[in-house]
Amino acid sequence: MNKAICSTSTDGQFAYGFIGVVVGLVYLTMLLPCVAQAAKFEIFQSEYQPLKLAWMVDAPSEDANAEHLIRNVVRHDLESSQSFVTLDPLSFFVTAKQTEKHINYGDWRIIGADILAIARLHRTDDNWKADVEVLDPFRGKVLLQTTLDYSGSDLRPLAHQISNNIYHASTGIAGYFNSHILYVRKHGDRADLIYMDQDGANKQVVGRNFTLLLSPDWSPDNRLVALNTYVGNRPRLETFNLSNGKRSTFGAFPGLNSTPAWSPDGRFIAATLSFTGNTEIHIFDTSTRTWRQLTHNPGINTTPTWSPDGKWIAFTSNRSGSPQIYRIRIRDGHVQRISTLGSYNTSPAWSPAGDRIALITRKGWEYALATMRLDGSDIRYLVTGGPVESPAWSPNAQMLLFSKEVKGMRRVYRVPSWGGKVKAITAPDEDASYPAWSH
Amino acid sequence: MKLKQYSGIGLAFVAATGLLFAGCVKKTTVGGSPPVSIEKSSAITPAGATTNGVSTTNSVSTVQEPSSHSVYFAFDRSELDEPARGILNANAAWLKAHSGTSITVEGNCDERGSREYNLALGQRRADSVRDYLVKRGVSASSIDTVSFGEERPVCHGTGEACWAQNRHADIVVR
Repeated sequence: MNKAICSTSTDGQFAYGFIGVVVGLVYLTMLLPCVAQAAKFEIFQSEYQPLKLAWMVDAPSEDANAEHLIRNVVRHDLESSQSFVTLDPLSFFVTAKQTEKHINYGDWRIIGADILAIARLHRTDDNWKADVEVLDPFRGKVLLQTTLDYSGSDLRPLAHQISNNIYHASTGIAGYFNSHILYVRKHGDRADLIYMDQDGANKQVVGRNFTLLLSPDWSPDNRLVALNTYVGNRPRLETFNLSNGKRSTFGAFPGLNSTPAWSPDGRFIAATLSFTGNTEIHIFDTSTRTWRQLTHNPGINTTPTWSPDGKWIAFTSNRSGSPQIYRIRIRDGHVQRISTLGSYNTSPAWSPAGDRIALITRKGWEYALATMRLDGSDIRYLVTGGPVESPAWSPNAQMLLFSKEVKGMRRVYRVPSWGGKVKAITAPDEDASYPAWSH
Repeated sequence: MKLKQYSGIGLAFVAATGLLFAGCVKKTTVGGSPPVSIEKSSAITPAGATTNGVSTTNSVSTVQEPSSHSVYFAFDRSELDEPARGILNANAAWLKAHSGTSITVEGNCDERGSREYNLALGQRRADSVRDYLVKRGVSASSIDTVSFGEERPVCHGTGEACWAQNRHADIVVR
């Protein structure tokens, strides 16, 4: 745990390293940063132990390439979720083919497999069938037996579908392996919109040379992206069509036009406008194309995020003197403060599971990505050690994306929402920020 | 005409570095208002204009071109301090004497804190400059505002010396 904290804070090590040298206790340079960091943000780690997974694929010999691809993509999907570790196939007593007629659960208990998953592939031209079996050797139970049909030459979507089935059968939680990620690549004043599969495959530039591109947000049907860009030095709110690149303006008021957020039913887009003289959250109705004002407060009110039931919006407001997280009931405008710890809390992102809100919080000048309950309690610090921004949830609420800046360059990372290892998903040589996860 | 009003030092300074950079240097040397010191070093003040440029009766030819078009802010604040009000008084006087002029007030922030919140904060800074100018008699319809949040830093780097330069609002003639 301390190891993880230390490795994220090179600044802290440097600062304390200097003191260490001065006092001549060189070993302190190794110890002090850990102590200092831990005193600020205690990084949350769950008790969760990843499931040990025995994973096998069987395919006709002429489809060895397909077998290889499916095996690797599924293994990577499940391991990257940090909910599984895959067992070495060399430890298996039998081959996938040998399990076709009979499965001896004892063979799998002996190597400690919590879950045994087998996919058998069959093909007619480009039409694939995958028979998927998920078993619990310790309870001697079949968790899932299903057949997936798939047409196409690129088998990655089929692999992700198999991953979803194994993940769901084992954990009871929906998988997210067929989802996609958008982020913003900034170069100078210009920015591109980048699209990729959740595992980083099929990366492509879908929108080029925006004059600033801020706060992209997927529509619930994943076809449009709402975003804030500038045209002739004036900000506007636009939707961007992911299939044809068409841009359409839905907000171009004097002053701010920022932080668009789709309602879960896709009908409304909440955003921040300042034309009234105050920085308020307004709601755009995409069917009537009209706006109405939601918040009424002379402070800053920004970064709306919807509850999954569409009844509340959480947002950042400095009405108490410093930025804090609040929520407002859409029906009657009733406002509650949520964040209670710290003097600077921003960037709320409501979990799709509904029970928690992710945020960026500050202690001293140290920032952390954290989650909290809807009453501000049970705060869990997940990442710290540098400027972290823009939390975005996976559709199943198990993973969070965020950006973190190191030496003037931002990079997008992901971390399990229940605590775990931080993994970069963009390269170090591009300025990548504002991640958004599809629904 | 405009150049004559600057001291030799000010002239060389402005010519060499441009207005933006002058704003940065001023920041570090005079706590946020180097142009004021340049202005004070200018010996000639037209009759009717005070040293901070406030004037309601001058003709176009006697109102000084403001020595700075930028004001600076404390972290997470949008209130105008004394030096900022001095600069805005000079700008208000000049704008009133040039009534056809349209301006955009651009608000900016340092890199600390969230980008979205800083966008809103930059807007507050631009709005507080606009409101002050209007209070000083500038026509509201001639003023446009925009925030760039932390997206367009003047100074790239970390540390208060740099951040202070990035927490500014600029008056830009359209």
